[in-house]
Amino acid sequence: MNEKHSRPDNAQRVYGQVLHWVSTLGIVFVILGFAIYIFELFPLKVPISDIAHNWHLGAEELNRQFHLPTGWAWVNDMLHGDVLSFASIVYLSGATIICLAAVAVVFFREKNVIYTTIAFLQILVLVFAASGIIGSGH
Amino acid sequence: MSLKFCNWLFLLVVPAVLFFLPEIVFAADVVSSEGIAAESLPSEGFAWWVWVLLLFVFSFFLGIIAVVAGVGGGVLYVPIVSSLFPFHLDFVRGAGLMVALAGALSAGAPLLNKGLANLRLALSMALIGSISSIFGALVGLALPAHIIQLSLGFTIVFIAIIMLMAKKSEFPEISAPDKLSQILHIHGIYYEASLNKDIDWQIHRTPVGLVLFVIIGFMAGMFGLGAGWANVPVFNLVLGAPLKVSVATSVFVLSVNDTAAAWIYLHKGAVLPLIAVPSIAGMMLGTKIGAKLLTRVKTKSVRVIVITLLLLAGFRAILKGFGI
Repeated sequence: MNEKHSRPDNAQRVYGQVLHWVSTLGIVFVILGFAIYIFELFPLKVPISDIAHNWHLGAEELNRQFHLPTGWAWVNDMLHGDVLSFASIVYLSGATIICLAAVAVVFFREKNVIYTTIAFLQILVLVFAASGIIGSGH
Repeated sequence: MSLKFCNWLFLLVVPAVLFFLPEIVFAADVVSSEGIAAESLPSEGFAWWVWVLLLFVFSFFLGIIAVVAGVGGGVLYVPIVSSLFPFHLDFVRGAGLMVALAGALSAGAPLLNKGLANLRLALSMALIGSISSIFGALVGLALPAHIIQLSLGFTIVFIAIIMLMAKKSEFPEISAPDKLSQILHIHGIYYEASLNKDIDWQIHRTPVGLVLFVIIGFMAGMFGLGAGWANVPVFNLVLGAPLKVSVATSVFVLSVNDTAAAWIYLHKGAVLPLIAVPSIAGMMLGTKIGAKLLTRVKTKSVRVIVITLLLLAGFRAILKGFGI
Protein backbone atom coordinates (compact mmCIF):
# COMPACT_ATOMS: atom_id res chain seq x y z
CA MET A 1 0.00 0.00 0.00
CA ASN A 2 1.27 3.43 -0.84
CA GLU A 3 0.18 5.53 2.16
CA LYS A 4 1.32 8.72 0.46
CA HIS A 5 -0.98 8.15 -2.49
CA SER A 6 -4.21 7.33 -0.71
CA ARG A 7 -3.92 10.18 1.77
CA PRO A 8 -6.57 12.89 1.21
CA ASP A 9 -5.35 16.28 -0.01
CA ASN A 10 -4.94 19.29 2.25
CA ALA A 11 -8.33 20.88 1.48
CA GLN A 12 -10.14 17.62 2.20
CA ARG A 13 -8.28 17.15 5.49
CA VAL A 14 -9.15 20.69 6.60
CA TYR A 15 -12.81 20.16 5.70
CA GLY A 16 -12.84 16.87 7.63
CA GLN A 17 -11.25 18.41 10.73
CA VAL A 18 -13.55 21.45 10.81
CA LEU A 19 -16.57 19.23 10.15
CA HIS A 20 -15.63 16.94 13.03
CA TRP A 21 -15.59 19.78 15.58
CA VAL A 22 -18.52 21.70 14.17
CA SER A 23 -20.77 18.63 14.02
CA THR A 24 -19.75 17.36 17.48
CA LEU A 25 -20.55 20.77 18.92
CA GLY A 26 -23.82 20.77 16.97
CA ILE A 27 -24.99 17.48 18.47
CA VAL A 28 -24.13 18.73 21.98
CA PHE A 29 -26.06 21.97 21.34
CA VAL A 30 -29.09 20.07 20.02
CA ILE A 31 -29.25 17.79 23.07
CA LEU A 32 -28.67 20.64 25.54
CA GLY A 33 -31.22 22.86 23.80
CA PHE A 34 -33.82 20.10 23.86
CA ALA A 35 -33.20 19.38 27.57
CA ILE A 36 -33.70 23.09 28.34
CA TYR A 37 -36.89 22.99 26.27
CA ILE A 38 -38.65 19.90 27.62
CA PHE A 39 -37.63 20.44 31.27
CA GLU A 40 -38.74 24.06 30.91
CA LEU A 41 -35.55 25.44 32.42
CA PHE A 42 -36.37 28.68 30.58
CA PRO A 43 -39.88 30.05 29.97
CA LEU A 44 -41.49 28.83 26.75
CA LYS A 45 -42.94 30.95 23.99
CA VAL A 46 -45.59 28.29 23.29
CA PRO A 47 -46.40 25.57 25.87
CA ILE A 48 -45.40 22.07 24.76
CA SER A 49 -48.95 20.75 25.17
CA ASP A 50 -50.26 23.45 22.79
CA ILE A 51 -47.75 22.39 20.15
CA ALA A 52 -48.66 18.73 20.70
CA HIS A 53 -52.38 19.47 20.30
CA ASN A 54 -51.76 21.21 17.02
CA TRP A 55 -48.90 19.39 15.34
CA HIS A 56 -51.45 17.92 12.94
CA LEU A 57 -51.80 21.38 11.39
CA GLY A 58 -49.59 22.52 8.52
CA ALA A 59 -46.60 24.74 9.30
CA GLU A 60 -48.28 27.89 8.01
CA GLU A 61 -51.44 27.32 10.03
CA LEU A 62 -49.59 26.44 13.23
CA ASN A 63 -47.40 29.53 12.96
CA ARG A 64 -50.44 31.72 12.37
CA GLN A 65 -52.31 30.21 15.32
CA PHE A 66 -49.51 30.91 17.81
CA HIS A 67 -48.18 34.05 16.12
CA LEU A 68 -44.83 32.35 15.72
CA PRO A 69 -42.14 34.36 13.99
CA THR A 70 -40.79 33.12 10.65
CA GLY A 71 -37.42 33.85 9.06
CA TRP A 72 -34.89 35.20 11.57
CA ALA A 73 -37.42 36.96 13.83
CA TRP A 74 -36.96 34.22 16.49
CA VAL A 75 -33.57 35.78 17.37
CA ASN A 76 -35.42 38.40 19.42
CA ASP A 77 -36.84 35.66 21.68
CA MET A 78 -33.62 33.83 22.51
CA LEU A 79 -34.33 33.61 26.23
CA HIS A 80 -37.10 31.07 25.70
CA GLY A 81 -36.52 27.32 26.00
CA ASP A 82 -38.31 26.42 22.76
CA VAL A 83 -36.45 29.14 20.85
CA LEU A 84 -33.11 27.93 22.27
CA SER A 85 -33.88 24.41 21.08
CA PHE A 86 -34.78 25.79 17.65
CA ALA A 87 -31.53 27.82 17.65
CA SER A 88 -29.51 24.64 18.21
CA ILE A 89 -31.09 23.14 15.08
CA VAL A 90 -30.30 26.35 13.20
CA TYR A 91 -26.65 25.94 14.27
CA LEU A 92 -26.64 22.39 12.88
CA SER A 93 -27.95 23.76 9.59
CA GLY A 94 -25.12 26.30 9.51
CA ALA A 95 -22.37 23.70 10.06
CA THR A 96 -21.79 23.11 6.34
CA ILE A 97 -21.33 26.84 5.69
CA ILE A 98 -18.59 27.01 8.35
CA CYS A 99 -16.77 24.02 6.78
CA LEU A 100 -17.09 25.47 3.28
CA ALA A 101 -15.68 28.82 4.45
CA ALA A 102 -12.65 27.02 5.89
CA VAL A 103 -12.04 25.02 2.71
CA ALA A 104 -12.55 28.09 0.48
CA VAL A 105 -9.63 29.74 2.31
CA VAL A 106 -7.46 26.66 1.67
CA PHE A 107 -8.34 26.61 -2.03
CA PHE A 108 -7.65 30.35 -2.25
CA ARG A 109 -4.23 29.97 -0.61
CA GLU A 110 -3.43 27.13 -3.01
CA LYS A 111 -4.40 29.49 -5.87
CA ASN A 112 -6.91 26.88 -7.04
CA VAL A 113 -9.16 29.19 -9.06
CA ILE A 114 -11.75 26.59 -10.06
CA TYR A 115 -12.45 25.25 -6.57
CA THR A 116 -12.15 28.65 -4.87
CA THR A 117 -14.93 29.76 -7.22
CA ILE A 118 -17.04 26.61 -6.66
CA ALA A 119 -16.65 26.83 -2.86
CA PHE A 120 -17.45 30.54 -2.92
CA LEU A 121 -20.54 30.00 -5.09
CA GLN A 122 -21.66 27.16 -2.81
CA ILE A 123 -21.33 29.43 0.23
CA LEU A 124 -23.33 32.11 -1.60
CA VAL A 125 -26.12 29.61 -2.37
CA LEU A 126 -26.32 28.42 1.24
CA VAL A 127 -26.08 31.95 2.71
CA PHE A 128 -28.84 33.01 0.32
CA ALA A 129 -31.03 30.14 1.56
CA ALA A 130 -30.10 30.95 5.17
CA SER A 131 -30.81 34.67 4.75
CA GLY A 132 -34.53 34.08 4.60
CA ILE A 133 -34.86 36.30 1.52
CA ILE A 134 -36.75 33.41 0.02
CA GLY A 135 -38.74 31.05 2.15
CA SER A 136 -39.54 33.22 5.17
CA GLY A 137 -43.00 34.62 5.73
CA HIS A 138 -46.13 33.33 4.13
CA MET B 1 -27.06 -11.41 21.08
CA SER B 2 -27.36 -14.48 18.88
CA LEU B 3 -27.67 -14.35 15.14
CA LYS B 4 -31.09 -15.99 15.34
CA PHE B 5 -32.38 -13.36 17.74
CA CYS B 6 -31.13 -10.50 15.56
CA ASN B 7 -32.84 -11.94 12.51
CA TRP B 8 -36.10 -12.40 14.42
CA LEU B 9 -35.86 -8.81 15.56
CA PHE B 10 -35.73 -7.54 12.02
CA LEU B 11 -37.97 -10.06 10.35
CA LEU B 12 -40.88 -9.92 12.78
CA VAL B 13 -40.80 -6.93 15.09
CA VAL B 14 -40.33 -4.20 12.52
CA PRO B 15 -43.17 -5.13 10.15
CA ALA B 16 -45.36 -5.76 13.21
CA VAL B 17 -44.79 -2.20 14.38
CA LEU B 18 -45.72 -0.92 10.96
CA PHE B 19 -48.93 -2.90 10.81
CA PHE B 20 -50.23 -2.53 14.36
CA LEU B 21 -49.41 1.07 15.18
CA PRO B 22 -50.97 2.77 12.15
CA GLU B 23 -54.52 1.88 13.15
CA ILE B 24 -54.11 4.02 16.27
CA VAL B 25 -52.95 7.05 14.41
CA PHE B 26 -54.13 6.68 10.86
CA ALA B 27 -57.37 8.55 11.42
CA ALA B 28 -55.43 11.54 12.66
CA ASP B 29 -53.23 11.42 9.62
CA VAL B 30 -56.20 11.70 7.31
CA VAL B 31 -57.58 14.73 9.07
CA SER B 32 -54.21 16.29 9.65
CA SER B 33 -53.93 18.02 6.31
CA GLU B 34 -57.45 19.38 6.63
CA GLY B 35 -56.83 20.91 10.02
CA ILE B 36 -59.85 19.43 11.81
CA ALA B 37 -60.41 20.41 15.42
CA ALA B 38 -58.01 19.04 18.00
CA GLU B 39 -60.66 17.16 20.02
CA SER B 40 -60.69 14.24 17.58
CA LEU B 41 -56.94 13.81 17.55
CA PRO B 42 -55.07 10.93 19.07
CA SER B 43 -52.48 13.33 20.53
CA GLU B 44 -55.31 14.04 22.96
CA GLY B 45 -55.27 10.36 23.94
CA PHE B 46 -51.56 10.22 24.67
CA ALA B 47 -49.52 12.72 26.61
CA TRP B 48 -47.10 14.62 24.36
CA TRP B 49 -44.11 12.94 25.94
CA VAL B 50 -45.45 9.51 24.96
CA TRP B 51 -45.39 10.55 21.29
CA VAL B 52 -41.92 12.03 21.71
CA LEU B 53 -40.68 8.86 23.37
CA LEU B 54 -42.34 6.67 20.72
CA LEU B 55 -40.74 8.79 18.02
CA PHE B 56 -37.33 8.41 19.66
CA VAL B 57 -37.69 4.63 19.96
CA PHE B 58 -39.07 4.33 16.45
CA SER B 59 -36.24 6.45 14.99
CA PHE B 60 -33.77 4.31 16.92
CA PHE B 61 -35.04 1.13 15.23
CA LEU B 62 -35.22 2.92 11.90
CA GLY B 63 -31.56 3.90 12.37
CA ILE B 64 -30.59 0.27 12.95
CA ILE B 65 -32.52 -0.93 9.91
CA ALA B 66 -31.17 1.89 7.73
CA VAL B 67 -27.56 0.91 8.39
CA VAL B 68 -28.12 -2.83 8.08
CA ALA B 69 -30.07 -2.40 4.84
CA GLY B 70 -27.52 0.07 3.50
CA VAL B 71 -29.95 2.95 2.95
CA GLY B 72 -30.04 6.45 4.38
CA GLY B 73 -32.35 7.08 7.32
CA GLY B 74 -34.17 9.95 5.63
CA VAL B 75 -35.71 7.87 2.89
CA LEU B 76 -37.29 5.53 5.46
CA TYR B 77 -38.15 8.22 7.98
CA VAL B 78 -40.49 10.46 5.96
CA PRO B 79 -42.89 7.87 4.46
CA ILE B 80 -43.05 5.67 7.55
CA VAL B 81 -43.28 8.40 10.23
CA SER B 82 -45.89 10.25 8.17
CA SER B 83 -47.89 7.01 8.14
CA LEU B 84 -47.55 6.16 11.82
CA PHE B 85 -47.51 9.46 13.72
CA PRO B 86 -50.08 12.23 13.95
CA PHE B 87 -47.73 14.97 12.74
CA HIS B 88 -48.44 17.07 9.68
CA LEU B 89 -46.36 16.12 6.65
CA ASP B 90 -44.66 19.57 6.74
CA PHE B 91 -43.07 18.78 10.12
CA VAL B 92 -42.21 15.20 9.15
CA ARG B 93 -40.42 16.46 6.05
CA GLY B 94 -38.65 19.17 8.08
CA ALA B 95 -37.53 16.58 10.65
CA GLY B 96 -36.60 14.14 7.87
CA LEU B 97 -34.22 16.69 6.40
CA MET B 98 -32.67 17.37 9.81
CA VAL B 99 -32.29 13.61 10.44
CA ALA B 100 -30.53 13.13 7.11
CA LEU B 101 -28.41 16.26 7.68
CA ALA B 102 -27.34 15.31 11.22
CA GLY B 103 -26.42 11.79 10.06
CA ALA B 104 -24.44 13.11 7.12
CA LEU B 105 -22.59 15.66 9.26
CA SER B 106 -21.55 13.10 11.86
CA ALA B 107 -20.49 10.52 9.26
CA GLY B 108 -18.80 13.02 6.94
CA ALA B 109 -15.57 13.75 8.83
CA PRO B 110 -14.18 10.19 9.05
CA LEU B 111 -15.11 9.50 5.42
CA LEU B 112 -13.23 12.62 4.28
CA ASN B 113 -10.24 11.93 6.51
CA LYS B 114 -9.93 8.33 5.26
CA GLY B 115 -9.99 9.59 1.68
CA LEU B 116 -13.11 7.62 0.79
CA ALA B 117 -15.30 10.68 0.17
CA ASN B 118 -13.92 12.96 -2.51
CA LEU B 119 -14.27 16.69 -1.93
CA ARG B 120 -13.87 17.73 -5.57
CA LEU B 121 -16.43 15.24 -6.85
CA ALA B 122 -18.84 16.24 -4.09
CA LEU B 123 -18.46 20.00 -4.46
CA SER B 124 -18.99 19.89 -8.22
CA MET B 125 -22.25 17.96 -7.91
CA ALA B 126 -23.49 19.59 -4.69
CA LEU B 127 -23.39 23.13 -6.08
CA ILE B 128 -26.03 22.42 -8.69
CA GLY B 129 -27.94 19.99 -6.45
CA SER B 130 -28.22 22.50 -3.60
CA ILE B 131 -29.75 25.14 -5.87
CA SER B 132 -32.40 22.71 -7.08
CA SER B 133 -33.07 21.46 -3.54
CA ILE B 134 -33.96 25.05 -2.53
CA PHE B 135 -36.51 25.15 -5.34
CA GLY B 136 -37.74 21.69 -4.35
CA ALA B 137 -38.30 22.84 -0.77
CA LEU B 138 -40.16 25.96 -1.92
CA VAL B 139 -42.41 23.94 -4.23
CA GLY B 140 -42.94 21.24 -1.59
CA LEU B 141 -44.08 23.74 1.03
CA ALA B 142 -46.30 25.63 -1.41
CA LEU B 143 -48.26 22.66 -2.78
CA PRO B 144 -51.34 21.27 -0.98
CA ALA B 145 -50.64 18.37 1.42
CA HIS B 146 -52.60 15.80 -0.62
CA ILE B 147 -50.58 16.54 -3.76
CA ILE B 148 -47.33 16.15 -1.82
CA GLN B 149 -48.67 12.97 -0.23
CA LEU B 150 -49.50 11.57 -3.66
CA SER B 151 -46.16 12.50 -5.24
CA LEU B 152 -44.31 11.21 -2.17
CA GLY B 153 -46.14 7.90 -2.51
CA PHE B 154 -45.17 7.51 -6.17
CA THR B 155 -41.59 8.58 -5.42
CA ILE B 156 -41.25 6.06 -2.58
CA VAL B 157 -42.59 3.23 -4.76
CA PHE B 158 -40.14 4.32 -7.46
CA ILE B 159 -37.27 4.29 -4.92
CA ALA B 160 -38.25 0.79 -3.78
CA ILE B 161 -38.20 -0.39 -7.41
CA ILE B 162 -34.77 1.23 -7.94
CA MET B 163 -33.49 -0.53 -4.82
CA LEU B 164 -34.86 -3.81 -6.12
CA MET B 165 -33.44 -3.48 -9.63
CA ALA B 166 -30.26 -1.42 -9.26
CA LYS B 167 -27.01 -3.24 -9.74
CA LYS B 168 -23.78 -2.19 -8.14
CA SER B 169 -20.35 -2.12 -9.61
CA GLU B 170 -17.52 -2.36 -7.10
CA PHE B 171 -14.89 -0.97 -9.48
CA PRO B 172 -16.48 0.35 -12.70
CA GLU B 173 -14.22 0.37 -15.74
CA ILE B 174 -13.75 3.80 -17.30
CA SER B 175 -12.03 3.80 -20.69
CA ALA B 176 -11.38 7.55 -20.64
CA PRO B 177 -12.48 10.42 -18.39
CA ASP B 178 -14.62 13.12 -19.98
CA LYS B 179 -13.31 16.65 -20.60
CA LEU B 180 -15.32 18.33 -17.85
CA SER B 181 -14.08 15.92 -15.17
CA GLN B 182 -10.51 16.59 -16.38
CA ILE B 183 -11.01 20.34 -16.14
CA LEU B 184 -12.45 19.89 -12.64
CA HIS B 185 -9.61 17.48 -11.69
CA ILE B 186 -12.11 14.88 -10.48
CA HIS B 187 -10.13 11.71 -9.94
CA GLY B 188 -8.54 10.04 -6.97
CA ILE B 189 -6.87 7.17 -5.23
CA TYR B 190 -8.18 5.33 -2.21
CA TYR B 191 -6.90 2.40 -0.21
CA GLU B 192 -9.03 -0.72 -0.67
CA ALA B 193 -8.54 -2.78 2.46
CA SER B 194 -10.10 -5.96 0.99
CA LEU B 195 -7.49 -5.99 -1.80
CA ASN B 196 -4.73 -4.40 0.28
CA LYS B 197 -3.91 -1.94 -2.47
CA ASP B 198 -4.56 1.57 -3.72
CA ILE B 199 -7.32 1.93 -6.29
CA ASP B 200 -7.05 4.66 -8.93
CA TRP B 201 -10.33 6.01 -10.15
CA GLN B 202 -11.68 8.59 -12.54
CA ILE B 203 -15.15 9.44 -13.83
CA HIS B 204 -16.96 9.96 -17.12
CA ARG B 205 -20.34 11.39 -18.23
CA THR B 206 -19.97 14.37 -15.85
CA PRO B 207 -22.55 16.57 -17.68
CA VAL B 208 -25.15 13.77 -17.42
CA GLY B 209 -24.36 13.45 -13.71
CA LEU B 210 -24.87 17.18 -13.22
CA VAL B 211 -28.31 17.03 -14.84
CA LEU B 212 -29.29 14.06 -12.66
CA PHE B 213 -28.16 15.91 -9.53
CA VAL B 214 -30.53 18.75 -10.42
CA ILE B 215 -33.41 16.26 -10.32
CA ILE B 216 -32.14 14.50 -7.17
CA GLY B 217 -31.69 17.82 -5.33
CA PHE B 218 -35.19 18.94 -6.26
CA MET B 219 -36.76 15.72 -4.99
CA ALA B 220 -34.71 15.75 -1.78
CA GLY B 221 -35.86 19.30 -1.03
CA MET B 222 -39.46 18.68 -1.99
CA PHE B 223 -39.98 15.55 0.09
CA GLY B 224 -37.41 16.05 2.86
CA LEU B 225 -35.75 12.79 1.89
CA GLY B 226 -32.08 12.11 2.20
CA ALA B 227 -30.98 11.32 -1.32
CA GLY B 228 -28.45 8.52 -0.83
CA TRP B 229 -30.76 6.15 -2.71
CA ALA B 230 -30.19 8.26 -5.83
CA ASN B 231 -26.73 9.74 -5.23
CA VAL B 232 -25.01 6.37 -4.97
CA PRO B 233 -26.32 4.85 -8.25
CA VAL B 234 -25.53 8.08 -10.11
CA PHE B 235 -21.96 8.25 -8.77
CA ASN B 236 -21.40 4.52 -9.22
CA LEU B 237 -23.31 3.51 -12.35
CA VAL B 238 -23.51 6.76 -14.32
CA LEU B 239 -20.26 8.53 -13.43
CA GLY B 240 -18.30 5.33 -12.83
CA ALA B 241 -16.85 6.05 -9.38
CA PRO B 242 -15.98 2.98 -7.26
CA LEU B 243 -18.80 1.86 -4.96
CA LYS B 244 -17.10 2.87 -1.70
CA VAL B 245 -16.19 6.30 -3.07
CA SER B 246 -19.79 6.68 -4.29
CA VAL B 247 -21.31 5.83 -0.91
CA ALA B 248 -18.91 8.09 1.00
CA THR B 249 -19.18 11.03 -1.40
CA SER B 250 -22.96 10.68 -1.38
CA VAL B 251 -22.96 11.36 2.36
CA PHE B 252 -21.01 14.54 1.78
CA VAL B 253 -23.29 15.74 -1.05
CA LEU B 254 -26.26 15.01 1.16
CA SER B 255 -24.91 17.30 3.90
CA VAL B 256 -24.70 20.22 1.43
CA ASN B 257 -28.00 19.66 -0.42
CA ASP B 258 -29.99 19.03 2.74
CA THR B 259 -28.51 22.15 4.35
CA ALA B 260 -29.87 24.26 1.51
CA ALA B 261 -33.36 22.77 1.76
CA ALA B 262 -33.30 22.73 5.58
CA TRP B 263 -33.00 26.53 5.68
CA ILE B 264 -36.20 26.88 3.68
CA TYR B 265 -38.05 24.55 6.08
CA LEU B 266 -36.59 26.42 9.09
CA HIS B 267 -37.67 29.80 7.77
CA LYS B 268 -41.15 28.50 6.98
CA GLY B 269 -41.52 27.27 10.55
CA ALA B 270 -41.69 23.63 9.34
CA VAL B 271 -39.12 22.34 11.84
CA LEU B 272 -40.50 21.61 15.31
CA PRO B 273 -37.78 20.75 17.87
CA LEU B 274 -40.31 18.51 19.61
CA ILE B 275 -40.38 16.27 16.51
CA ALA B 276 -36.94 16.87 14.99
CA VAL B 277 -34.68 16.37 18.04
CA PRO B 278 -35.99 12.95 19.25
CA SER B 279 -35.80 11.80 15.63
CA ILE B 280 -32.19 12.98 15.23
CA ALA B 281 -31.13 11.47 18.58
CA GLY B 282 -32.93 8.16 17.98
CA MET B 283 -31.66 7.79 14.44
CA MET B 284 -28.05 8.60 15.36
CA LEU B 285 -28.06 6.16 18.26
CA GLY B 286 -29.71 3.53 16.05
CA THR B 287 -27.14 3.90 13.28
CA LYS B 288 -24.33 3.36 15.79
CA ILE B 289 -25.95 0.15 17.06
CA GLY B 290 -26.80 -0.86 13.48
CA ALA B 291 -23.15 -0.55 12.50
CA LYS B 292 -22.25 -2.98 15.29
CA LEU B 293 -24.99 -5.42 14.28
CA LEU B 294 -24.02 -5.26 10.65
CA THR B 295 -21.92 -8.41 10.76
CA ARG B 296 -24.49 -10.37 12.78
CA VAL B 297 -27.66 -10.04 10.74
CA LYS B 298 -28.52 -11.19 7.25
CA THR B 299 -28.40 -7.87 5.41
CA LYS B 300 -30.16 -9.39 2.39
CA SER B 301 -33.25 -10.27 4.50
CA VAL B 302 -33.30 -6.81 6.05
CA ARG B 303 -33.03 -5.25 2.61
CA VAL B 304 -36.07 -7.23 1.48
CA ILE B 305 -37.99 -5.99 4.55
CA VAL B 306 -36.95 -2.40 3.88
CA ILE B 307 -38.10 -2.61 0.26
CA THR B 308 -41.39 -4.12 1.45
CA LEU B 309 -41.80 -1.36 4.05
CA LEU B 310 -41.10 1.28 1.44
CA LEU B 311 -43.64 -0.24 -0.95
CA LEU B 312 -46.28 -0.38 1.82
CA ALA B 313 -45.55 3.18 2.96
CA GLY B 314 -45.56 4.33 -0.67
CA PHE B 315 -48.92 2.73 -1.49
CA ARG B 316 -50.38 4.07 1.75
CA ALA B 317 -49.22 7.58 0.86
CA ILE B 318 -50.79 7.22 -2.59
CA LEU B 319 -54.11 6.13 -1.04
CA LYS B 320 -53.97 9.06 1.39
CA GLY B 321 -53.19 11.39 -1.49
CA PHE B 322 -56.36 10.19 -3.20
CA GLY B 323 -58.26 10.69 0.06
CA ILE B 324 -58.91 6.93 0.48
